[in-house]
Amino acid sequence: MAKIGVFVCHCGENIAAKVDCTKLKAAMESHPGVSIATEYKYFCSDPGQESIKKAIVEQGLTGVIVAACSPRMHEATFRKACAAAGLNPYLCEIANIREQCSWVHSDGDEATEKAIEITRSLVEKVKRNNELQPILVPVTKRALVIGGGIAGIQAALDIANAGGEVVLVEREASLGGHMAQLSETFPTLDCSQCIMTPRMVEAAQHPNIRLLTYAEIEKVEGFIGNFHVRVKMKARYVDMQACTGCGDCIQKCPQKKISGEFDCGLANRPAIYTPFAQAVPNKPVIDSRHCTYFKNGKCKVCVKVCQTNAINFDMQDEYLDLEIGAIVVATGFQIQDTSLYGEYGYGRYPDVVTGLQFERLASASGPTGGRIARPSDGKEPETVVFIQCAGSRDPSKGVSYCSKICCMYTAKHAMLYAHKNHHGTSRVFYMDIRAAGKGYDEFTRRAIEEDGAGYIRGRVSKLWQENGKLMVRGVDTLLGKPVEVPADMVVLATAMVPQPDAKEFAKTLGIGCDEYGFFNEAHMKLRPVETATAGIFLAGACQSPKDIPDSVAQASAAASKVLALFSREKLEREPIIAMNNEATCSGCWGCVLACPYNAIEKKDITDRAGNLIRRVASVNPGLCQGCGTCVTFCRSNSIDLAGFTEKQIFAAVMGL
Amino acid sequence: MSIQEHYRSRAKELLSSGTVKMVIGYGTGSTPDRRRPVFITSPDETDRLVLDKACRTNLSGYLLREGLLSDQKQVAVFFNLDGVRSLNILAAESQLETAQVLVLGFRIEGEEVTALQGERAADFKSLIAAAKEQRKSQPPHELQEKLEAMTPKERFSFWEAEFSRCIKCYACRQACPMCWCRRCVVDNNQPQWVNTSSHTLGNLEWNLLRAFHLAGRCVECGNCSRACPADIPLHLLNRRMSDEVQGSFDHYPGMDEAQEPVLASFRKDDPETFIL
Amino acid sequence: MSEVFEPKIVAFVCTYCTYAGADLAGTSRLKYPSNVRIVRLPCTGRISPMFILKALQKGADGVLVSGCHPGDCHFDHGNYHARRRWTVFNSLLQFAGVPEERVKFSWISAAEGIKFAELIREITEDIRKIGPFEEYHKLIAETGSAAPL
Repeated sequence: MAKIGVFVCHCGENIAAKVDCTKLKAAMESHPGVSIATEYKYFCSDPGQESIKKAIVEQGLTGVIVAACSPRMHEATFRKACAAAGLNPYLCEIANIREQCSWVHSDGDEATEKAIEITRSLVEKVKRNNELQPILVPVTKRALVIGGGIAGIQAALDIANAGGEVVLVEREASLGGHMAQLSETFPTLDCSQCIMTPRMVEAAQHPNIRLLTYAEIEKVEGFIGNFHVRVKMKARYVDMQACTGCGDCIQKCPQKKISGEFDCGLANRPAIYTPFAQAVPNKPVIDSRHCTYFKNGKCKVCVKVCQTNAINFDMQDEYLDLEIGAIVVATGFQIQDTSLYGEYGYGRYPDVVTGLQFERLASASGPTGGRIARPSDGKEPETVVFIQCAGSRDPSKGVSYCSKICCMYTAKHAMLYAHKNHHGTSRVFYMDIRAAGKGYDEFTRRAIEEDGAGYIRGRVSKLWQENGKLMVRGVDTLLGKPVEVPADMVVLATAMVPQPDAKEFAKTLGIGCDEYGFFNEAHMKLRPVETATAGIFLAGACQSPKDIPDSVAQASAAASKVLALFSREKLEREPIIAMNNEATCSGCWGCVLACPYNAIEKKDITDRAGNLIRRVASVNPGLCQGCGTCVTFCRSNSIDLAGFTEKQIFAAVMGL
Repeated sequence: MSIQEHYRSRAKELLSSGTVKMVIGYGTGSTPDRRRPVFITSPDETDRLVLDKACRTNLSGYLLREGLLSDQKQVAVFFNLDGVRSLNILAAESQLETAQVLVLGFRIEGEEVTALQGERAADFKSLIAAAKEQRKSQPPHELQEKLEAMTPKERFSFWEAEFSRCIKCYACRQACPMCWCRRCVVDNNQPQWVNTSSHTLGNLEWNLLRAFHLAGRCVECGNCSRACPADIPLHLLNRRMSDEVQGSFDHYPGMDEAQEPVLASFRKDDPETFIL
Repeated sequence: MSEVFEPKIVAFVCTYCTYAGADLAGTSRLKYPSNVRIVRLPCTGRISPMFILKALQKGADGVLVSGCHPGDCHFDHGNYHARRRWTVFNSLLQFAGVPEERVKFSWISAAEGIKFAELIREITEDIRKIGPFEEYHKLIAETGSAAPL
């Protein structure tokens, strides 16, 4: 038998001036199931809360309604008070008679009548409320960071420095990502390698970080605090323990004509190689697609020269199963394939290069040792044309978004070029200069005013070769005139795009991505580093185009989210979650599809001998966020939502 | 050889070779214009099978009889194109696997009954795609058109009169190939969403809820209206729902077994003209 | 008819957007007619068509269903699912002869207190014009004691 207490708050005059609280109290007193109804000036005050607690204990209440302000205001307060008096907090509901009644209606009688109905409806609901217990989920205090670029390294170091255990997985043979390829970085022009490589070493040597390079994520299962991750350790064909990193094999490998990925095709590498000289770990891998032995069954020069017998052609891919509590996804970006812009001649003219190739040319550790030279003949170009938005902000051919970093790196390129070739001329075709950021606008101004970069506002329509020059035709929209610039080299500010397998990987992780493949945050403004899947966080350009400072900031933010999670032994979650009646579930999986959080799993029902009888939906309490979308889908009414059950809502409507 | 003979011998062949354990088809009914489902398990009984223009019942619902498909053996079923579509939906909703069902396909056009090419649900893909296109240009049903032209008040009275005759026998549910829930929502009394007494109000609620549950799933086979002892034109509600899902979401139920249920999926740019 | 007809309106809203919007209307002291009764749900995804039918059974002359704008759902895409259901159920109700003025759907964000107040005014006014849902009330009366509570 229900014993409900109704506590009508005057909220000073806020409610009492419009709603006849005594009448409301009287109406509730005579309502079936109500044991006590009282009114008071301020129930949220200390004496107010005490009187509720006293009533709970003295009357043995089974439910509490506080008719007061919005539940968004004081639901937590009153539920806490109930809990202190020994009543399960989820047996307390708030009737909103202030924001949604006394404050918005002028007529006292009407407001009173409405307040009675609102309160009555919730009395009927609370009669059907159940005791709910917070959901406790254990936490494995080990983070997985996917991607060993600057974002992944930063996140790994932040977590590790706070004492957390980290597994850092990188699919290439070395840490570093795109940042390791860069020459100098805007807006300070410090050398990328100089600030990056110490971080790489720090991560590799950190006692709390387990580094897995040349490894990929194969499978992710489980939920926040309790992920099961399978990592594929790709065969390196080099024993990491035995190898000393002397490099003899790299010198002697006869297969030397492989286009080097790290130098963006501007230099070649052998079949056994480290991606770059400062690689971490600085031990080679064998590229089995190009290795002569793998192709012809003969060669093994590397085996002969290796003094520690580190080469092993029989090595196989291995799989590693990890228990993980939180995941930081920092898989980075790629640059868009520029060959789709036929008019820019990329791929046709060797001296039309991408921004990233220009980085390699300008880098002291690059193929030219930092001398900016034309790929075709090695001569220093006298005129360089930079074309911005070569792919970005172009819904018809490229991508419709702004790649964010190109305005800055183009200014940097023009600057680096001016510093290295004092007589050279640079021209930049641009749509707008987007230089929002600390010191950014000053930086682009410097490129223009001090380093003589000539900015032309307009797009390039055509590019062709004539008398050994690359002729660039565009339009100067400020002058309203066509322009033609004879250039020795053209640099395309190519768009930043997601990794080619990003959409597939989003599925592996069970997170969302946009139409391009950039991973979705849980809320663009308020939860920018979380994904909709609890326990998986984002860092860096895998979410959207970002520069280094933004990537690092987001990585630290993601790390702090991981650390907040790791600061608890168990996760406590609101028990407002879905639950399924397995007896009536037909296993149509509509709920599985509709769930925004992949929180519903398929569960086998077996007989005692283990034979499958049928399969039903099962809600994972660790993942469910309590939206109730599944409940509405379920035709047989098998799934229900704790706190907002079908019975409760039915009663609330019928109580109106 | 008539199509009936053709399929009788095909059924005999399938049963005697052990390819299928049962053929679900049509047999003679109580009146000449009615056909009754028959479940043939022996090659000697295949001459009980009838195939003519009276074979209108969608037989797919029988496939879900408890235990029928649990032994992984195959069953052959007589299906027109609507039947194949409902088979696809049952597979899409994980109620069966099409690999276990052999389709004996036919089409009724006027007096003529012809065979459909193919024996697996997937074989009928292009026919179903053509049916989808055709439905777009299909002229509206006469009664439906009349209803749409009425004022809301008139429409309400029309349905009030129709539903007042409903006796809540749930024959519509029993006959419907898509009503396979282990527990129907109407049988849930905690809470009792649908009034079970056969007052017009509860009847209205029941029939609206059923139509909603069939939205995007109904293949318009007509089993419900044929089963209704009160002759309520239930198919009209389902038809209206089909118009809606096809018009708004380009959803034609039962295209293939991978089709996502229209109400468990969405597009960000779904139309929303009526939302304020 | 000398006295103004005061319709009964039930609103099913999500807690994150429209409920918060209604709260904002309150904190801004906007005035709107007292005819509306709000039932709070976590998300529009939780709002079942049966709620609408039950509100009508309780004698509501109008129903409002409202939640976060597309793209703003706290639960990422609960409202996209809701929108499909509404599309289907709305056309079903109209086909059954429930006048479109009686069941309304809207997106109202936590910041749109003004929109909430205006919409309630508008809906109340529209339903005042068409009067009580007599056709439905007749069915309810006929049911007599069969309506459970």
